[in-house]
Amino acid sequence: MENVLSILFCLTLLYLVVTSRIKTYVTILRIQGVLLSLIMIFPFLHHLSVHLLIIPIVSLIVKAIIIPRFVNKIVIDLDVKRIVEPSIQPFNFLLLSVFSMSVLFVSAHVLSGFTTIEPIPFASAFSAMIIGIFIIIFRKKLIIHVVGFLILENGILLFGTSLSAEMPTIVELGALLDIFVVVFLMGIVINRISSTFAQPDVTALGRLKD
Amino acid sequence: MLELFLLTALPLLNIGLVYFLKNRKIQYSLTLFAATVHLLCSFLIFSGFLNPSENDFIRFDSLTKLFLMVLSNVYFWVTLVSYSYLSRPNIVKEEKSKKLYFMLLNLYLLANTLALISNHLGLFWVASETTTLCVAPLIFYYRDEEALEAMWKYLFLVSVGIAFAFVGFLFLTLSANGTVLDGKQLVVTNFILNAEVLNPIWLKAAFIFVFVGLSTKIGIAPMHPGDIDATSNSPSPVAALMSGSLRGTALIGVLRVYQIMVPTETAEFARIIMIIGGMFSLFVAFVFMFKVTNYKRMISYSSVEHLGLIVIGIGTGGIAFVGAMLHVVYNSITKVVLFLNAGNIHRAYKSRETASVWNVLNAMPWTGWLFLTGFFAIIAMPPFGIFFSELMIFQGLMAKPWLLAGVLFLLFFIFVGMSKTVFQMLYKAPPDIANLPEISEKFDITHFASLILLLMLIGLGLFLPSELYEMVTNIALDFGIIL
Repeated sequence: MENVLSILFCLTLLYLVVTSRIKTYVTILRIQGVLLSLIMIFPFLHHLSVHLLIIPIVSLIVKAIIIPRFVNKIVIDLDVKRIVEPSIQPFNFLLLSVFSMSVLFVSAHVLSGFTTIEPIPFASAFSAMIIGIFIIIFRKKLIIHVVGFLILENGILLFGTSLSAEMPTIVELGALLDIFVVVFLMGIVINRISSTFAQPDVTALGRLKD
Repeated sequence: MLELFLLTALPLLNIGLVYFLKNRKIQYSLTLFAATVHLLCSFLIFSGFLNPSENDFIRFDSLTKLFLMVLSNVYFWVTLVSYSYLSRPNIVKEEKSKKLYFMLLNLYLLANTLALISNHLGLFWVASETTTLCVAPLIFYYRDEEALEAMWKYLFLVSVGIAFAFVGFLFLTLSANGTVLDGKQLVVTNFILNAEVLNPIWLKAAFIFVFVGLSTKIGIAPMHPGDIDATSNSPSPVAALMSGSLRGTALIGVLRVYQIMVPTETAEFARIIMIIGGMFSLFVAFVFMFKVTNYKRMISYSSVEHLGLIVIGIGTGGIAFVGAMLHVVYNSITKVVLFLNAGNIHRAYKSRETASVWNVLNAMPWTGWLFLTGFFAIIAMPPFGIFFSELMIFQGLMAKPWLLAGVLFLLFFIFVGMSKTVFQMLYKAPPDIANLPEISEKFDITHFASLILLLMLIGLGLFLPSELYEMVTNIALDFGIIL
């Protein structure tokens, strides 16, 4: 069951690569939040304890409800243009992503031969990390960079969950990465108030260089 | 327990107090008091008068003691000059930032102390995330477009880096699967004891992720740009704090993971990665030293160079490792001197561009001469400490002549590039235009601090105290290096 959910998670990533509307990005963030919480509920089904329920519930609330809402509100308030302004052809981006994902899946399969990992969640998690970084590199808008960071973080959480049946404390600490996301979003909001960047676009970040 | 209380509770208490007491003088006195207590406490721990208890979360080994001393020293001097720095007339719209300044300094001290004394990698990770978050508003001090851009870039790059480091720590958990450490907490001492049974593949993966991730904070190329922007656009006390101590805090995370790898066969792999990273940093510093037109950025690139050298020293091992540890101490002291005086120049000439600064030696004799002396210290002139530590690193590199040749080649040209900029600032004749701004200065507290720090640097270099040397050789012993 975890494998099925992980594959679904990977499919959302591929959809993310081809789409160019901010609205779809936010919807996919919601779907990923729900999928992650579902995956994280499995340890609870093995050992019934309240402690194991905390992380799935918190991540459902934060990842599927609060953060997507916040992003949507910023898009409406700041009147950001509704497309993502790629700096790469969508088809090339898809090819690159599919290629990296297949490399990850094959290497995860090879590694699972002599180590104790579950290949499908492992490879899905790393696919999310790599696509998160690709989105940060190949998209121009600051708000989309934050979404890219969120995808990266989702990948990290999935990786942490796939490590072992019992959730180690370190995985719970990973939820603290959300603080950064909130700080970024606040930064964008405050930034508009002080009206320092006219358009929240990464091309504006060109003053500091040698 | 008393030590732990003195080191962490006072800054914690101060965060609350400073938030409610709006008077800047009171804020300053409270912060300075905490800094002094912290310095005394670190010194007592360093010299062995206090022997704090250790457990799964807290650890006071030689490495922690040395880095704690570095942090306390830098923090004390930076706090000492902060009041006079904040009392200066505003350059842009920084009035609002001054209210938060001392609160953030206290938080910075607390987070860095926790990161240094942690024995638990989870605690280390949370603490180093906090250091990033509390330093970001300090970078935004001037509240102009450049400061905003610097803060955004630093925050974004470092958070991606911190996320990478987190993946590295997860790999460390994975490497313990199926061993006695399975499902246990990430306690460094336990991992070192059982290093032999860890899975080597995941151990290597863990090191790569932690090294690349924390490089954003250490300033190792190619992850250095955020660091350069941040240190060159923040106010000079903050830049001194970041260059002098924050980079060390991140370095200790890499060292902890390396320490786990030392008894295993993967250690060689980690050494090669560190040498590659260090050489690349030297190369980047070499290229940009000639391109750079902003003197604060020049000092930041010099930080990239010196941290690269430290990482090369750690990777080489032997006497070079000892040199690298001493280099951490000397480099942090020199960077404080350079950044504080660069801040004085920035205030007087109202520009960070080298082209709009002239004749500093005559116009501002104290700042000029101290800046020049600091420059001599950073390019490893004798009798300053850096000369001796670099000599030790080179001695260790003798075993790899091609590496030594590469390092010395790059260092020589970095020296040429840097001196070109510095001598232009110090000696260039004033431009031939009417209404030149009147520039003068009096001896103030930044000069006093720089003077003491430079004397300290000479003293430490010439009469290397046996306590310091013993501490450094103990660290080397912990890393399996017998001299």
